[in-house]
Amino acid sequence: MSLTLILLGMLVAVVLSLLAWAFRSTKEPVGSQSFARALQEDGRAHVEFLPQIRQALAREDEEFLSRAGGSRLRRRLKTERRRVALSYLNALRQDFEGFLRMAKIIAMLSPELGVGQELERARLTVSFLWKYRRVQLSLYVGHLPLPEMAALGTVISGFSVRLEAALKAMGERSALAAEMISPSDRGRIHFV
Amino acid sequence: MNGLVDLVQWVWGISAGAQAVLCWVLFLSGNFRRIPVFAAYALANLCQAILMLMIYKRIGFRAESAVMLAWSWQACIQILRAAATTEAIRLLLKPYQGIWGLGRRVLAGAFGIIFVVALGYSGRNIGWAILLVDRGFHLAFAIALVACLLLVHYYSVPIHAAYKALLGGFCFYSCTVVLANTLGGILFVGGNPNFQAIWNLLTMGAFVVVLFVWANALRKPLPEPMPNVGPPEAVNSYWEISPQINERLRQLNDELSRLWKSEVTHS
Repeated sequence: MSLTLILLGMLVAVVLSLLAWAFRSTKEPVGSQSFARALQEDGRAHVEFLPQIRQALAREDEEFLSRAGGSRLRRRLKTERRRVALSYLNALRQDFEGFLRMAKIIAMLSPELGVGQELERARLTVSFLWKYRRVQLSLYVGHLPLPEMAALGTVISGFSVRLEAALKAMGERSALAAEMISPSDRGRIHFV
Repeated sequence: MNGLVDLVQWVWGISAGAQAVLCWVLFLSGNFRRIPVFAAYALANLCQAILMLMIYKRIGFRAESAVMLAWSWQACIQILRAAATTEAIRLLLKPYQGIWGLGRRVLAGAFGIIFVVALGYSGRNIGWAILLVDRGFHLAFAIALVACLLLVHYYSVPIHAAYKALLGGFCFYSCTVVLANTLGGILFVGGNPNFQAIWNLLTMGAFVVVLFVWANALRKPLPEPMPNVGPPEAVNSYWEISPQINERLRQLNDELSRLWKSEVTHS
């Protein structure tokens, strides 16, 4: 019986901690700027630098410089490439988070949500974060074959343009709806 | 022993006074119009306190009929509590119809599952079963509420301080009842003669704290609910974009897995 009390006590502590966490002010509340910022950020995706990153991580370059430059240059090259790879991985995560933010805004504006879609996204987010940490750790340790990293960027590239178009269309329709609401109500609307 | 009973009576008196204050505050601020179910819940609590005082004076504290009456009334209070919580979350998510639809399902699903599991653990003895069912209800209620609030946080929906106080108060009280019922059961099984007084002190003490927090938060009128933020056509964009985002995330996950596999092969 006292074991029940300990277990329930721990459960209650977790529940109350989660409650406090849920009540924290959100980093980005739904405000007039968040919608516009999402569009602006989308236009500056890190995947734009994908060709340069591909070049920096190319296996042929590494092999050539290793042959021509000796062990000192090889070590320096390895360190530099790892630094670039880590920065690139971090930038990809920022792009990923940008997509998630836009997905949330679209969900907030939509009068109906698909439970399956939202659950799937939550599952994929958790999975992404776990794999991201694993790859990051491998990079720190120096195990990861760098050229394969460039493939990650292709997943994100090109998608942002379509998202931007969809968000703009929704924003325009929302603004039109705001115009149709009385002036006293308009002050309390929080989009665009 | 007598000192403990006196303390329980004092806390009971303070609790009844705080309930009256809360009803008065709800009436003065006009918030009873904005949150009528919560106002009904507050009034039902006050009526329960008055009714119980009359019953205990007339037929005694330990009479079986008094206990059955008290728990029957308590069942009505629990239903009102659940309804008042749903009302607060509905007001909070009124401008976000899609999230409200999802939140409603999370609230009902989480509550249903945990409560059914808790019912399975309740005993055959009626007195014992009531205690366990009550604990199960509060546990299910607290977890479902927090699950729904996590969803609200995930979508970055702002929560007004008064609603934080209302929902936080419900959750805190339920958590206290879960622990108080468990501790009360342990003391009862261990033959402690003060088990009832300790249980009463814990639950009523927590309730008094929550009542004062609610009264303070509801002094000012609650904010007007915002109109819907999205146009009805936004649902088409959602169904168009959302699967694409998920597909893109899936691809990204696959790429990361491939990267990991190639790392394993190389080393």
